[in-house]
Amino acid sequence: MSDADCSVLDLLTELMASAEGRCAYAEARHVEERGEAIAVLNGGIDALDSSDSQGIGVRVRVGGGWGFAAAREVTRAGAEGALARALAIAQAQPAGPGTPLAPVAPARGHWSSPYEVDPFSLSLEEKLGLLFEAERALRIGDERLVRTVATGRAWRERKAFASTEGAACTQELVAAGAGIAAYASDGAELQMRSYPGAHGGGLAAAGGWEHVRGLELAAHAPRVASEAIELLSAPPCPEGTRTIVLHGEQVALQVHESIGHALELDRILLSEASYAGTSWVSPTDLGTLRYGSEHLHITADATLPGGLGSFGWDDEGVAAKRTELITGGVLRAALSDRESAAAIGLGASGGCARADGFARQPIVRMTNVSLEPGTVPTLADLIADTGDGLYLESNRSWSIDDRRLQFQFATEICREISGGELGRLYRNGSYAGVTPRFWGGLDAVCGPDEWRLWGLTNCGKGEPGQVMEVSHGAAPARFRDVQVGVA
Amino acid sequence: MTASEPEALELAERALSFATGEAQATVVHERSLLSRFAVSRPTQATQVDDVTISVLRVHDGHTGSADTNESTDEALRDVAARADAAARAAAAAAGAAGDYPGLPGPAPLRSHDGFDARTAALDPREAGIALRTAFDGCAKHDLQAFGIWTAGLVDTAIASSTGIRAHDVLTDAYMKVIARDADGRTGWAADAGTAIAALQPLALAERASAKVTREEPLALEPGEYPVVLEPDAVGTLLDFLGALGFNGLAHTEGRGALVDRLGQRVAAPAVNLSDAPSFVRTLPRAFDAEGVPKAPLPLIQDGVAHAVVHDTRSAARAGTVSTGHALAPGGAPWGPAPTNLVLAGGGAADEAELMAPIERGLYVTRVWYVNTVHEKSALLTGTTRDGTFLVEDGRIGRPIRDVRFTDSILRLLEATEALTAGQRLVADAEFYGRRFATGVVTPALRAHGFRITGQTV
Repeated sequence: MSDADCSVLDLLTELMASAEGRCAYAEARHVEERGEAIAVLNGGIDALDSSDSQGIGVRVRVGGGWGFAAAREVTRAGAEGALARALAIAQAQPAGPGTPLAPVAPARGHWSSPYEVDPFSLSLEEKLGLLFEAERALRIGDERLVRTVATGRAWRERKAFASTEGAACTQELVAAGAGIAAYASDGAELQMRSYPGAHGGGLAAAGGWEHVRGLELAAHAPRVASEAIELLSAPPCPEGTRTIVLHGEQVALQVHESIGHALELDRILLSEASYAGTSWVSPTDLGTLRYGSEHLHITADATLPGGLGSFGWDDEGVAAKRTELITGGVLRAALSDRESAAAIGLGASGGCARADGFARQPIVRMTNVSLEPGTVPTLADLIADTGDGLYLESNRSWSIDDRRLQFQFATEICREISGGELGRLYRNGSYAGVTPRFWGGLDAVCGPDEWRLWGLTNCGKGEPGQVMEVSHGAAPARFRDVQVGVA
Repeated sequence: MTASEPEALELAERALSFATGEAQATVVHERSLLSRFAVSRPTQATQVDDVTISVLRVHDGHTGSADTNESTDEALRDVAARADAAARAAAAAAGAAGDYPGLPGPAPLRSHDGFDARTAALDPREAGIALRTAFDGCAKHDLQAFGIWTAGLVDTAIASSTGIRAHDVLTDAYMKVIARDADGRTGWAADAGTAIAALQPLALAERASAKVTREEPLALEPGEYPVVLEPDAVGTLLDFLGALGFNGLAHTEGRGALVDRLGQRVAAPAVNLSDAPSFVRTLPRAFDAEGVPKAPLPLIQDGVAHAVVHDTRSAARAGTVSTGHALAPGGAPWGPAPTNLVLAGGGAADEAELMAPIERGLYVTRVWYVNTVHEKSALLTGTTRDGTFLVEDGRIGRPIRDVRFTDSILRLLEATEALTAGQRLVADAEFYGRRFATGVVTPALRAHGFRITGQTV
């Protein structure tokens, strides 16, 4: 912990001392963020941005209601002003029943995410060089390529947290990511191909620039560009009911949308009905609901190295933990914060309260929600075992209803599986399903060698909106009797 | 606080003073209040007072930008230096001049009436009163209330080395009420405007409650149906068309849904769509993120596509001039977009008149989780939510379970048969990042062949 961290933590601790007796509970967070984003497009720079911000957010509880106020002035006056405004806002709310908060041991100490190469210690030239090389490798000399792009991003978040219950801790997370994408058009048709992640290719992880170097963007670029062009003349995805094999990244998104969000306890308790929606799961389902097949094992683990959902403590000061959400297809637990956990009688929070920066209050969020590895050694083994079906890779479109039941996804790549081998390429691959039926059709998951963390940096929730970064561990998996060719 | 307070512009000028060469300083100061409620009780209340100070530096046709939320001289000097270093690094890495044509110069700005002093006060007691009213209104129907009340004051200023000195203050207000019964049936209503006087909590509670019927919802088989879309549904779909069809960068790169279709009929003759930043019911703006004045721009007239929108960069690539639609200083990487879409009303008195010719069809209050399936055809998918009904023999009938649609917004506009005379401001009140209130002013419409591809359980 630096001297600056100590100074800010002292400020927050003194603020919490002054809040005693003025509210039932108070907490204060100082967040300092630094970010850098680079985009190389068609041989030139498309964006080169850096951002710095810091401020203090104060949340209080008065008469059963919450109030939250944020101030950018990191001074005693700024912090006290935020506290006063938070108190006034809470007091102006219609009176409601006071609900308890699950108990928590006061957070103390410092946590930081591991990394090897600080992305902010490198020169811009070095980072630009890597991205220019990757983007250049995408331009394989075909005029149907209308857009070739390489992006890189890094960010650092430092937090200090104190509460009226005695918490006083600091933490730091460093993360980086990069990717490439090629867009091809023949006039009537537009197709894109991304690597290593979908929607432009970026894949981020908690770590340093070593993560970006390890992606080997330039080496993958010619294949990515060629596949974008090949997709232009590929036949459309066939319609019907098929066995499908999903690439690990698409499995990760499927976990995110149809399991992670559905198991957020605030949604289950209707607190998010105004915006994100509710859930098809009810509190009484915990321990009994069959969510999927016996191959479905889901964990929420905020201790995973490299996970964007990893931390020392969540934004209510609850220590990071690993929770088994689904074992053998049966629902065991939900994602919770202190208020929602107490509302259903749990003795402790699930440690999932997270806030986007200093100017937003913590809400229930995923940490690193993962499909645990199965037993099929490799993707090739899974394809060989499948016989006939479709293989789908790299998300292109996603949509799911407000109870997280009926969904429809499209992917960049769709390939026929015939006789246990990958065959012809289709364009505009898509599939649809209903959550418990879909996961009930899960009959094989690849093993640890194919399993990895997939960072997702655009998870939106809350009002005002909050963007959160999470990771999902996943490996390629197979699903039976899935509706395909729906779009 | 008044609309003429120059604090933001002074801050922008101070930031610009630390920049060298061709540069633009932008200040966006947000003060906002948002109260959420669920199960007829307040759940979260968030007050924000924060500023973003950004500097865009142009060097040899390349841009670099940096931002901060600190306003000390030290922080402003640092942000200017970071922007300068970024632009120089970009130029050095590219090894050739970039294609950014240079910052625009000053131009006369139109004033607007998008400021309301009562709203700017951001009094949390206003929220408290509105929430109580909505709770009581829903309780009369034995329903629970969910939703938000929010008000914001956003002060935007631009100072550039090319002489722009622009300052704009906008207030906005929004409230939505979802009424819900014990079985999970829901109804929706929302109000938006530049002032909290536009928010009618009791009327919202009544409108939302009226959508919650006690009948068991029917299941609707996939297929193509005549549909009446309320303004909330139309507004969401038009917003997507703004990004897919009218984005001048995507259009220039051959990725847009209107490539080779400008000057051609793309919608029914009754469809007239424009970007109208001073329209009476819109959330007005004086200039875009590059300080270029906002002005009305016809996009579809009598069903014929006329124009796409541009920022300075996309305009240069297209060989034209900016239409004042930059979303970020220097132009956003994803391109420009309209922020004040207005769909002209038609001749129908109300939604009931729209339904009259439908023998069997669908009535949709709003759509949810809409996403693009295919950019070139503006093919979208999403679900209905908070009030979906069967239309039978020209009248609203039984509620139906929410359905999934997969359809093109361009095809829907082509299939549009009638529109209501009245329009409503449909606002995007998600407010990710810095508050930027936008909305679509639109009537309800009737179209044929709405493609339903699935249903919720």
